[in-house]
Amino acid sequence: MAMARLTPNGVAAALAGDTNLKPVLQIVELRGVQVNGAGVTRGERFRAVVSDGTAASSALFAAQLSDHARSGALRRGSIVQLSEYVINEVGPRRIIVILNLEVLVSECEIIGNPTALSETGSPIPNPTRVEQFNGAPQYGLMAGNSSNTTTKPSDNVPLFQNSMAGNSSNFATRPSDKVPVFQPTVQPSYRPAPNYKNHGAIMKNEAPARIIPISALNPYQGRWAIKARVTAKGDIRRYHNAKGDGKVFSFDLLDSDGGEIRVTCFNALLDRFYEVVEVGKVYVVSRGNLRPAQKNYNHLNNEWEILLENGSTVDLCPDENSSIPTQRFDFRPINEIEDAQNNAILDIIGVVTSVNPCTTIQRKNGMETQKRTMNLKDMSGRSVEVTMWGDFCNREGSQLQGMVERGIFPVLAVKAGKVSDFSGKSVGTISSTQLFINPDSAEAHSLRQWFDSGGRDASTQSISRDITPGASRNEIRKTVAQIKDEGLGMGDKPDWITVKATVIFFKNESFFYTACPNMIGDRQCNKKVTKSTNGNWTCDKCDREFEECDYRYLLQFQIQDHSGTAWVTAFQEAGQELLGCSATELNALKEREDPRFADTMLNCLFQEYLLRLKVKEESYGDERKVKNTAVKVEKVDPSGESKFLLDLISKSSALH
Amino acid sequence: MDTSGPAAFVNGEILKMFVGRRVRTVVQAQREEGGLLIGQSTDGHQLTIKGASGAPMSHYVEIIGIAEPNQAIRAEVCTDFGENFDPAPFNGLCKLANGQMKDLFL
Repeated sequence: MAMARLTPNGVAAALAGDTNLKPVLQIVELRGVQVNGAGVTRGERFRAVVSDGTAASSALFAAQLSDHARSGALRRGSIVQLSEYVINEVGPRRIIVILNLEVLVSECEIIGNPTALSETGSPIPNPTRVEQFNGAPQYGLMAGNSSNTTTKPSDNVPLFQNSMAGNSSNFATRPSDKVPVFQPTVQPSYRPAPNYKNHGAIMKNEAPARIIPISALNPYQGRWAIKARVTAKGDIRRYHNAKGDGKVFSFDLLDSDGGEIRVTCFNALLDRFYEVVEVGKVYVVSRGNLRPAQKNYNHLNNEWEILLENGSTVDLCPDENSSIPTQRFDFRPINEIEDAQNNAILDIIGVVTSVNPCTTIQRKNGMETQKRTMNLKDMSGRSVEVTMWGDFCNREGSQLQGMVERGIFPVLAVKAGKVSDFSGKSVGTISSTQLFINPDSAEAHSLRQWFDSGGRDASTQSISRDITPGASRNEIRKTVAQIKDEGLGMGDKPDWITVKATVIFFKNESFFYTACPNMIGDRQCNKKVTKSTNGNWTCDKCDREFEECDYRYLLQFQIQDHSGTAWVTAFQEAGQELLGCSATELNALKEREDPRFADTMLNCLFQEYLLRLKVKEESYGDERKVKNTAVKVEKVDPSGESKFLLDLISKSSALH
Repeated sequence: MDTSGPAAFVNGEILKMFVGRRVRTVVQAQREEGGLLIGQSTDGHQLTIKGASGAPMSHYVEIIGIAEPNQAIRAEVCTDFGENFDPAPFNGLCKLANGQMKDLFL
């Protein structure tokens, strides 16, 4: 008997909140709806009406089940067992949100004559359309029919009773005339019941929400609570957009099941919760919107993140024991970082073997920031450069430097470091990174033991680019021939290299250009000016004329080392570094036909320099040409260069 | 190039292995004792140089001569390298020239 397959009273029990029932139900309606999440197209989702043979309810399939519906594995008539679901209150209505199910019978006639059961107090705002009923011949009451696989056309009896007045349940749909494709004879015309007077006031359930694991959170639960430890707390970030100024902060939670999730709150909620939240403490967080995790910023292993709202609570659990770990690591050996993707977020642990001094660098937006690098090695036989940015430099960085200088090589755990492929592979800190010095963990103890019992002297190979002591960081030394042989400058970004080479030729007929002296803010315009008929210099950009122009270097010269020769262009700063005088002075000498003009260039000829070059392919008309621009020119310092070479020898021989 | 009388690059430590042979080293002149120059080698040893009196104090001096016992050299050629000299690379060179890269040197 077909009826026996469905769970009697399953719909009512499920709607009443029994989420452990796993009822067997039939899908009596199915349709796709477009769901657009905030800023993210969530794609097609499926709504359904499920029935237990006597009662029916609206249901929504979770996104991961959309494929089932799209592929036809789930369709109208399917008999399914709901294995995971929640009851969601949409306004006054309750619907079943199906998270997981099993299809027992893929297609079957509609069993029984279910009536909609949905605890509503008002007409359903988004009426369910029933296209599936279009001319389908097989509607009917199958009661008494022992076979549920054969289709036996029977009378065109609408599945649902027309009038539900007086019935506590109802179903709403659009009036038939708005859906012209419907055939009137088979179209069940539900009308919203006019009023629902026989319902008492719906009481809000004020009982505290049950604590659920973080991994069970999903956007379809109205009320939930999680109990978790704060593992990281971000700083307040201020932003400005079309809506005005705002501020935001987020923190990360970890619960006893190892589930992680990020919680974010804005503006007034920030004021409410920022001081409350402390790293390491345990809180019960209740209510909030779940939205898809923004994977660009959020590296936690959870597809959702929580957005706190006005009804949210974050309550401290003061007497929490250690059932919730303080931190969860997923340590990766350093040799694995070699193959990790750029920008991947991962955890590493290693022994700090060296810490470099803090440097201040200028970011692209002009702001200054601190930067400090150190080297970490582990048992994988590799070491990696870890770059600390901002506050890390003076906080953990100084502490680590002090320890290393005293001959203590601390174990450092990096939670959420970002892999960079700038100069080999390195790991950098991001705002949510956490550094733990000598953490009390099994990994740390075994590393310490390994290091103290010989690991200290074990040779390791760095997966980051070699750093030359005494020379500027990230210096990539190349020979002149390597520029061509290695195809430098052909990529999207220019290559920055250093060559040691001798200047063998200066183009001395034109070594400067006439530049606009106009100051724009604190910067000089420097665009090329042309002499107009009245003898003044005009700048097209500034749209002004000047009596005097500035002379700036545009110096072309040839360099040579043991491997070959190349043309190099030097602009103002590099030109002055090379020749030791300004372009204006040099031009004055030239115009006076002063012999010192020739001497200036001759003094630099056949001298050896360290040239920092920007190598980039540029197009001149149809021609593409690799251009070498000198950005820094230094005379070779024999002492520094000798040290560099000694270091190079010891490194290259260590490889053999 | 005259290869008949090669002078090995040595520091204070390596000097001991070349007694009786021609060596080349750099010392920082410290003092003179009875016509002998006392200089510090690039690896921090005190070397006694015979026949090199008159070297300016605290200058670095290159000595080519014959190694003698007790950290001494009988100088044949002395060259003043001035005060601006980095002893560390020279010391590195001595080690390489007598160790790993021995084959490259006479």
